[in-house]
Amino acid sequence: MRDWRADFHLHTVLSPCGDLAMSPATIMARAAEIGLDLVAVSDHNSAKNTPAWRDAAAARGVKALYGLEVRSAEEVDVLTVFDEVEAALAFGQWVYAALPDIACDERVFGEQIVVDGQENILGFEPRLLISGIEHDLETVCATAREHGALVIGAHVDRGVDSILSQLGWLPEGLAIDAVEVTRYTDEQALVEAHPSLAGVPMVRFSDAHLPADIGFQQTLFRVEEPSVAELKLALAGLDGRSALPLRRALSDRS
Amino acid sequence: MTVSEMAQALGLKAVTAVGEQQIQGAMAADLISDVLANGAPGQVWLTIQTHRNVAAVASTQDLAAVVITGGREPNNDLIALANHESVTILLSNEDTYAVAGRLYALGVR
Ligand SMILES: [Zn+2]
Repeated sequence: MRDWRADFHLHTVLSPCGDLAMSPATIMARAAEIGLDLVAVSDHNSAKNTPAWRDAAAARGVKALYGLEVRSAEEVDVLTVFDEVEAALAFGQWVYAALPDIACDERVFGEQIVVDGQENILGFEPRLLISGIEHDLETVCATAREHGALVIGAHVDRGVDSILSQLGWLPEGLAIDAVEVTRYTDEQALVEAHPSLAGVPMVRFSDAHLPADIGFQQTLFRVEEPSVAELKLALAGLDGRSALPLRRALSDRS
Repeated sequence: MTVSEMAQALGLKAVTAVGEQQIQGAMAADLISDVLANGAPGQVWLTIQTHRNVAAVASTQDLAAVVITGGREPNNDLIALANHESVTILLSNEDTYAVAGRLYALGVR
């Protein structure tokens, strides 16, 4: 059993809002530099940069997992994290099939760039990735889980695109393993304001769109091996596994 | 009716430049994807959303103006993009229901 410093909420150049410096190779280099050892990219509604992420990880010796940040029909963002690229891509195809066929206007939304692990541009995703897909939140979570994902309600305390902003409270029985809390909010205060979150495991990740934000918030996982199955045990606090969200408020920033 | 006539009639506060574009109807929506799918050129969009994507969607759909209701304040990213894309952003202290009713009474259908 050992501790892993994890950040599963990182946007590459495939996300229209991702900075042009956010290539998988650059993110991986920065992750290694700041001592993260378990990292996943999570672009909006697409896993198309996860093969590059695998290549970039191999070059750095950092353990990679493979994610997407899916936006449901209610415009709730959900982080889904997979053990393997193939599983992320298969789930990504299910997501893409339900993504409205609206072209990305790069002028106002930004470019959606598919790259390889060496920062070569392979192509541009033409369809706008930040639309809500046609499936509701319940279906997104259940289907992600069927595909083998760790499922996390993204930035749950945020005023837009979160479970709380769109639905008011966490619906009972939703197939999620944890909720993610932003740097602005304290866990205890959050549960006091939103009793539906009582007992729900909480994690903190960076939601980085810029290199400087990578690993800004992290979660420390104590697990036997860095797999989705073990991470689920850690979030549930079972069998000696644990998950510790590390808060860094904005004022801590150096 | 033009956008500036509407702003005057409803006492809206402008945070970006107000044009003389003719209004071609209106919609009330708080889901960005709803406006992406159903927003039509020349419409006024009533919403409580205040993030940057409001200006982006207003631009892609060629809307006449956005009215942010309920006394909410737009964030700086939204204002910056709206200025850049010449999107008219107006603010109302009334809620969406009240603004929609007044627009309807003014003949915006
Ligand atoms: Zn994100």
